[in-house]
Amino acid sequence: MELNSAIPGGPIQQRWDKHRAELKLVNPANKRKFSVIVVGTGLAGASASATLAELGYNVQAFTYHDSARRAHSIAAQGGINAAKNYQNDGDSVWRLFYDTVKGGDFRARESNVYRLAQVSVNIIDQCVAQGVPFAREYGGYLSNRSFGGAQVSRTFYARGQTGQQLLLGAYQALMRQVGLGKVKLHNKQEMMDLIVIDGRARGIITRDLVTGAVRSHMADAVILATGGYGNVFYLSTNAMACNVTATYRAHKRGALFANPCYTQIHPTCIPQSGDYQSKLTLMSESLRNDGRIWVPKNKGDQRSPDQIPESDRDYYLERKYPSFGNLSPRDIASRAAKEVCDEGRGVGPGGLGVYLDFADAIRRLGEKVIADRYGNLFEMYERITGENPYKVPMRIYPAVHYTMGGLWVDYNLMSNVPGLFVLGEANFSDHGANRLGASALMQGLADGYFVIPYTIGGYFAQGGLQAVSAESPEAKAAVTEAEQKIAALLSIGGKRSPTSFHRELGKIMWDKCGMARTEAGLKEALQRIPELREEFWQNLVVPGSGTDLNQSLELGLRVADFLEFAELMCYDALQRNESCGGHFREEYQTEDGEAKRNDDDYCYVAAWEHTGVGSTPILHKESLTFENVQLATRSYK
Amino acid sequence: MKAFGEIWRSNLFQKWLMAITGLLLVLFLLGHLSGNLLVFLGPAHLNEYAHGLRTMGHGAVLWGARLGLLAFFILHVSSAITLSRRNRQARPQKYVKVEARSSTLASRTMLYSGLLLISYVLYHLAHFTWGAVHSQHYAQVSYILPSGEVVPDVYTMVVKSFSEPLIVILYLLSMVMVGLHLNHAISSAFQTMGVTNRRIMPLVRVGGPALSVIIALGFSAVPLAIILGFVKI
Amino acid sequence: MNLRLHIWRQAGPNDMGMLKTYDIANVSEHMSFLEMLDVLNEGLIAKGEIPVAFDHDCREGICGTCGMVINGRPHGPVARTTACQLHMRTFKDGDEIYIEPWRAKAFPVLRDLVVDRGSFDRIIQKGGYVSVNTGNAQDGNATPISKPDADRAMDAAACIGCGACVAACPNSSAMLFTAAKVGHLASLPQGQAERSSRAMEMVLQMDAEGFGSCTNHYECEAACPKGISAEFIAQMNRDFVTSALGGKA
Repeated sequence: MELNSAIPGGPIQQRWDKHRAELKLVNPANKRKFSVIVVGTGLAGASASATLAELGYNVQAFTYHDSARRAHSIAAQGGINAAKNYQNDGDSVWRLFYDTVKGGDFRARESNVYRLAQVSVNIIDQCVAQGVPFAREYGGYLSNRSFGGAQVSRTFYARGQTGQQLLLGAYQALMRQVGLGKVKLHNKQEMMDLIVIDGRARGIITRDLVTGAVRSHMADAVILATGGYGNVFYLSTNAMACNVTATYRAHKRGALFANPCYTQIHPTCIPQSGDYQSKLTLMSESLRNDGRIWVPKNKGDQRSPDQIPESDRDYYLERKYPSFGNLSPRDIASRAAKEVCDEGRGVGPGGLGVYLDFADAIRRLGEKVIADRYGNLFEMYERITGENPYKVPMRIYPAVHYTMGGLWVDYNLMSNVPGLFVLGEANFSDHGANRLGASALMQGLADGYFVIPYTIGGYFAQGGLQAVSAESPEAKAAVTEAEQKIAALLSIGGKRSPTSFHRELGKIMWDKCGMARTEAGLKEALQRIPELREEFWQNLVVPGSGTDLNQSLELGLRVADFLEFAELMCYDALQRNESCGGHFREEYQTEDGEAKRNDDDYCYVAAWEHTGVGSTPILHKESLTFENVQLATRSYK
Repeated sequence: MKAFGEIWRSNLFQKWLMAITGLLLVLFLLGHLSGNLLVFLGPAHLNEYAHGLRTMGHGAVLWGARLGLLAFFILHVSSAITLSRRNRQARPQKYVKVEARSSTLASRTMLYSGLLLISYVLYHLAHFTWGAVHSQHYAQVSYILPSGEVVPDVYTMVVKSFSEPLIVILYLLSMVMVGLHLNHAISSAFQTMGVTNRRIMPLVRVGGPALSVIIALGFSAVPLAIILGFVKI
Repeated sequence: MNLRLHIWRQAGPNDMGMLKTYDIANVSEHMSFLEMLDVLNEGLIAKGEIPVAFDHDCREGICGTCGMVINGRPHGPVARTTACQLHMRTFKDGDEIYIEPWRAKAFPVLRDLVVDRGSFDRIIQKGGYVSVNTGNAQDGNATPISKPDADRAMDAAACIGCGACVAACPNSSAMLFTAAKVGHLASLPQGQAERSSRAMEMVLQMDAEGFGSCTNHYECEAACPKGISAEFIAQMNRDFVTSALGGKA
């Protein structure tokens, strides 16, 4: 298979403008003749649905939530980057582009990233016009904060709820179009499959989560904006319902899945407190500005933290990375925490935690200053753990946070299946092997507001779309297939709940394909996952019926896909014999334990083709060229 | 543009009608109260005041006020009934367990205190305006004003009435009801009319109940003072 | 700790529904309330029973999906806390806990504790937005917005759309939800062009959905997990009446 990334030629600064100028247009009067299905109503999906409807397309939007306002974009705390240079500190489109490519450990496509940096400025303008209440200075102008991986202040924020406010802005734009009748919104509908007719994406199969009805929906193009797959690890900072089903089913219908092994682990999460734990909660990284991270020097030290003298403490980040110390990047801080816990020096229940200690900062600055800076975070921590972080050190541990991999897309955000577009976290395109803070919101909105509205028109204008109906054999077959799968799941009648399988899968993935991976571990996982999948289909129990609201069934269907997808992740991690960004292979590290990239052999996008469940997928490579940013090693010593 | 009929029927407009008529009724009560307190200055003041009310503009002012009050009263009550009915319909299935946080006895019993007040108002009018109850005290005596005019002796009527413990108890209970109703009503009306904001909201939330206590105590002062013998014929 | 739970069970929208009692043992104080229900459900599945359906998603108090009335209070006894952020250390061994769904005509029960809050979306569709198409925008800094205005807008915009205000209101009124959106946009220059029609249309839609009216108990404010102030209700009242009387809010 030939991967055509459709990157325009010419100087990188002019590529997007040139491409837009060359894209064919759809006559305004003809736009209403085209219909688009958008799956997902997060930042990318809602912004795309609203914008396409504004242009005149007929949009059908789908969400498994009860309202389009609930997607997990809402939980993003920190902010959104934009190269506005309002602070006059030397920021520019070029610098945002450069930081993002470097932050992605040189595994992203230059052209896409440059475009992302270009449209970042329009995003802020658009959101302000929608009434997003960004933080302001006393003079009335927009306020910025700095964020990891950048030396300029370019992050716009709305208190600690930036994701919420941006999502509500997009949701409101979407609601406006729903009110105008330009978008038909389908709540509580989960995508079960993609309908491909004559090689093009022409519709989806959904299950109504209230009535259980399985239906087909036809359109001229399908957009997936269904988020990431971090929940393959069971415990992650993702919302409970986040799943891989939509993208994975598209993958099974022919779409290539790119770089599935790139997983971002966030270092400052609240540790697991017991087996019942259902998800992990992120604490803003900003805490590391004043907190000092340490563990006891000696294994199995059971003393309470205030009883451990300085001489028995190991401030391991300060020791290993004297110049960046506690502010080392996410991946490095996360791995270091895992290392000390693996040595048996972790703290808290199960020894899976390290201290984040504010005692020095409180002594130096006073409790009031600390409360001003982090009051709400301290409150949140206390609410969850019952411990007062002003008195005892916080306990933190890394957790899966974001997945850089996703369906492979070209410059137009179209997958290799014509008519199937993929936006936001669901695609692989802009973050390479590691995402910088405050860039996920930027990408979701860039894709939805400013990229897809142009590129989808180019696809339609090429013509060649025949009328299709729900009566077509492909659509009917897909409905039957989905119904059979549901029936099969309900009829197993075993002993174990979907959650128990999910938890076990998550444990395998976290141990073998998590923060640090080895060839042996991945091979073991590739053996254990099919076994678990086998047991799933033998011993699962899903109580209730398929014809009403059945949350066990919803979860069962999602876990079934995770059980197949997990294997793909391991294959990808296994083939990538290097360490880069969110992929760390223990065999490939420098003498000091840093990630060792291999640009000669692995400077490519790994795009996987499905060949059947349980059979080895086929690897396709899109090689990455760096013409504008020089390949260099990241160092934080 | 919405048709005014649709707006009129809306919950919020009905609510606004209730608030504004309620506040006008409170203004009336304040006027009424200041008149009542003339009892403490003796028969001349009270009787002259009462006479003045009856004769102002050859009686037109009094009748105008009465009609106005009646209209406010009817609007107030009808909107209350409409809204209460709708509010009941808004929760067809009740909770098994409810734990209130900020609502008060007063706020939760507005409909009941209101309905009781309707019967009180009728009784009160029957007593002092129509003379239909306790008629043994009604306008039996005349009074000669310092100007020489002969007018009904309202003072004596009031004092005689409130010398009967049963009547005093009825009135005092009614004033508790007035206080209870106003305890929520005043601040609520300000909120509904939308005149509260961050700065004055705390003031209104305290000031409303305070004023309700003042009004209830003020009205109660007259029968209490009479039955306790501080005010005599 | 050991607890006795009385949970509303209702098989579907047309089922009568009733409270059912469950005993649950060995509840850890570190569990969240929803994790406690997870454990209950795993136990029910193991016994071959149908687990309790309840809405939830982010479990960090921001998505607004979860919501249940716990011992007579929406989201439970702790102020400014969603059910997912409520932890079991709030309860003690031997407690009895009543768990019921949001109760309102405009929030029909779909199953057990899950209700349909589509009415909220339809209120927003009537004007809870600024009518600006993508691409219309001027520079973000072109219109300065004072910090107090921006802060006030954010105070209102913090609404997570969970519906606790409706659940807490003795009249099942959606005034705080609606006022939060009206107040958010009325605090900003961007929201001024449609300010009058927005308040009017959204308020009328609230009636059409079957929500009750506001009688100023302020139970909504007390139950709101985001602490949104009822002052926004006053502001919406003002905008509505001005609009009703033909003025410009």
